[in-house]
Amino acid sequence: MATIHTLHIVNKRPDHPAFGACLSSITDQDGLLLTESGVLALADREATLKGTVYALAPDLQARAIAVDGLDVKSIDFDTMVALTTEATRVISW
Amino acid sequence: METLVIISRAPYCDWTGRESLDMAFSLAAFDQPVTLLFTGEGVNWLRKAQQADAVQQKSVEKNLSAAPIFGVSALMADHKACKRYGLNEENMMPGITTTDLCAELLEHYAHVVNLS
Amino acid sequence: MSPHTPCSFTLVITGAPYSSQAPQTALAFARAVLANGHRIDRVFLYGDGVHLASALTSPPSDEVNWSQAWQDFLESHNIAGFACIASALRRGIVDQSEQQRYELPANNVASPFTIAGLGEWVDSVAHSDRVIYFHGGG
Repeated sequence: MATIHTLHIVNKRPDHPAFGACLSSITDQDGLLLTESGVLALADREATLKGTVYALAPDLQARAIAVDGLDVKSIDFDTMVALTTEATRVISW
Repeated sequence: METLVIISRAPYCDWTGRESLDMAFSLAAFDQPVTLLFTGEGVNWLRKAQQADAVQQKSVEKNLSAAPIFGVSALMADHKACKRYGLNEENMMPGITTTDLCAELLEHYAHVVNLS
Repeated sequence: MSPHTPCSFTLVITGAPYSSQAPQTALAFARAVLANGHRIDRVFLYGDGVHLASALTSPPSDEVNWSQAWQDFLESHNIAGFACIASALRRGIVDQSEQQRYELPANNVASPFTIAGLGEWVDSVAHSDRVIYFHGGG
């Protein structure tokens, strides 16, 4: 797993202001974890993403959103916990 | 280890901004370093001469101007958001530093809270 | 922090059940925290999240009762759960002592949740290795 500096957790749909605020604050060394409505960004042709992108598998499954062919890692809660302990900081947007 | 409390919700529509301010003032009361950053629609908290009592709510203008006395390190506002909502030195409360919400800014804070 | 060092977590929930997914995501995360050998210092309910402490929620039998699920989790793992007093009183989440203080007709905080001030959250910021927020709006 790539070492990430800051893990940004976004649970909001792509057009929510917090999503944009997160994207303004993220660097390529950071991780972006999409949860809840955040996974809609993967189905949204107008959304752009930055950093190493992860998405919570149960939220993808619930919404029938596939990550094949996308530069996104589908992860479970065990991996989410690991990401939060390995990152230097965690910010929930 | 400083905390940045981000206020990104506008005033009066809900209590999110007030509850963010309570967090910042609590940190200060316990001598934990804290800075406030207003961004997005949240910069509308900073407009002068708001009459909160017109919607039967309390004004936070006095709390914000007293923030440094209570131990809040700084009050900042995102420059793009201020521009978007027509806020400038004339119509904004005094004591606010404009800045850019970006990775470099967040680097200074071990802990970032954004009630959203 | 190395992946093998146990960490202490505080989970802050600001999204209410049924108005958000926060209680569900937070509970799954909490279970994984413990399963991976880490510790939860406390769960802190703030803003709309205080609704999770209500003893009066009665969803249909084929839906998860999130308040009950959290009560069971906190009890079985002996983890403290706090609802912030200012957020709770505004929203009608009241324990016996606040009921008496304000002469209210009832109280509704579900054990083991208790009412506490923001000082509990400040303590988390100062002492927990990680403070993870589960917001609404998602």
